[in-house]
Amino acid sequence: MAAHTLIEVPSGVQCFVGEEARRRREIESRVLGVFEGWAYEEIIPPLFDYADVFSGPALTAKTYSFVSRDGSLLALRPDFTSLIAKIAAGRLADRPAPLRLYYSGEVLRYEPPKAGRQGELYQMGLERLGGDRLRGDAEVLAIAAESLEAAGAGDFVLAVGHVGVFAGLLRDCEVEPTSVESLRERVEAKDEGGVREALERARVPPPVADAVRRLSRLSGGREVLEEASRAFAFSEPARTAVAELQAVAAALAAAGLEPRVSIDLGEVRGLDYYTGLVFRAFARGLGFEVGGGGRYDALLSRFGRPLPAVGFMLGLDRLALLLEKQGRGAARPAAAAETVAGGDLADDLRRARERRSAGARIRLADGR
Amino acid sequence: MSLTIALPKGKLLAGAQALFRKAELPFPETDGRRLVVSVDGLRFLLVKDMDVPTYVEYGVADCGVAGRDVLLEAGSDVYEPLDLGFGRCRLVVARAREAAAPAATSTVRVATKYPRVTAAHFRQRGVSAEVVRLSGSVELAPGLGLADCIVDVVETGRTLQENGLEVVEEVAASTARLVVNPASFHARRDEVAALIARLRAALP
Repeated sequence: MAAHTLIEVPSGVQCFVGEEARRRREIESRVLGVFEGWAYEEIIPPLFDYADVFSGPALTAKTYSFVSRDGSLLALRPDFTSLIAKIAAGRLADRPAPLRLYYSGEVLRYEPPKAGRQGELYQMGLERLGGDRLRGDAEVLAIAAESLEAAGAGDFVLAVGHVGVFAGLLRDCEVEPTSVESLRERVEAKDEGGVREALERARVPPPVADAVRRLSRLSGGREVLEEASRAFAFSEPARTAVAELQAVAAALAAAGLEPRVSIDLGEVRGLDYYTGLVFRAFARGLGFEVGGGGRYDALLSRFGRPLPAVGFMLGLDRLALLLEKQGRGAARPAAAAETVAGGDLADDLRRARERRSAGARIRLADGR
Repeated sequence: MSLTIALPKGKLLAGAQALFRKAELPFPETDGRRLVVSVDGLRFLLVKDMDVPTYVEYGVADCGVAGRDVLLEAGSDVYEPLDLGFGRCRLVVARAREAAAPAATSTVRVATKYPRVTAAHFRQRGVSAEVVRLSGSVELAPGLGLADCIVDVVETGRTLQENGLEVVEEVAASTARLVVNPASFHARRDEVAALIARLRAALP
């Protein structure tokens, strides 16, 4: 065992005191107020569960797992979505879809502390399981925008893409998974030259290759979707994906959210997990995303209740950091406390209780 | 608020200056001492080549100029929308010309300034490698017995030749890139898009 003093802290843990803790609670209550306002129900899932509930190669490597006394492999939750999917398919199996559920709490991951990311992350998020896809996508984006506004964030945008464009373009090309991954990684980096090389290596035929090459430049306002729908007309699945995005973007624009939306067809993270619309929330003043989400229509079938689903989460740590950098969303200072002192202990304690009943904030002082 | 651009103080600086001049964009006069310079609406940070991706990833700089070699090593989450074309070099594995070919099963000891790229390169080929991290004069390592081979950048190959080394294989080709922080790319879309367009138009 590594030598350490008892007050040394392990890497990745955090501790919040007083004002900072109050700020976090305040941000949390504003965000959860928005979730409640859209009639989502809170769910408080367990802190640990069977390790195979949380699967997926990206997550497994970061999961704290341990063996239970009966020999089963357990894991501290590295995310909420798998747990919520499991609960929706199990305990809530009789509830009709759509299910609207939200959560707020810590997830634990082996992750080198970097860019506002710790081993212990506090996430506030929601999942809409089942129901109409386009309504779900639009609703989740609207809630994300309202949550950031309610928390006090300014100058933020939701960068919205659709993994079905990239995946759809490649659908009928026989490309090996490792080649798809190196291509995806270059598309995500918006590196046109790198994309071209990866396409050549994977021997992707011209019409598809030309289309994939354009993805790195297809970001901006809603007009890029018109361009995409023309350019990808030859591919049925890519065309469908663009049409979905156009419908959602039009609805958001009609609801006054156009300035908050930035279209980005190069947003192709989590291809093994997401199946449709994806987004990340960015704001001026913070170099990394404050949250994000997307559609994951395949996950729930793992648990035996195949429902399409969409969700998002905001990282409380990053949101608090953003508000601090933007100089916004400061917590209201705590009310001043009355000092109760001067009598003997019995008198003071009685008086303290009286004042508490009257709603005062009191400080029971030492001495007379 | 103006855009902040991280520039590498090393050998890519001259190429960056030529390109910015051609694009009629401001560029800092460098006296080597001032490391934060504002010129005509742009703010420049002059940092070590290897540190450019970090400044951009954390959003301290909105954009930066970095070699692909440095980006591969840093593994940062940044966009690379433009290949700027200059600073062309190759990241290669090199070893002593007269060295016997190492047995396929033995562990190779590799000296490098690029430990991440090196470890990944050998791992992907199924070769066990012990990576010795150096911060300069890597080409001396095989001759002095510190390592069996090196992974380093070469432009002309003359330094390798002078040290009795030869290229065994290429790990990656590299050129200078414009890198952009994803949050800046979206939250300051118009300004960033304008900068990209100006630089793109000035590319040969």
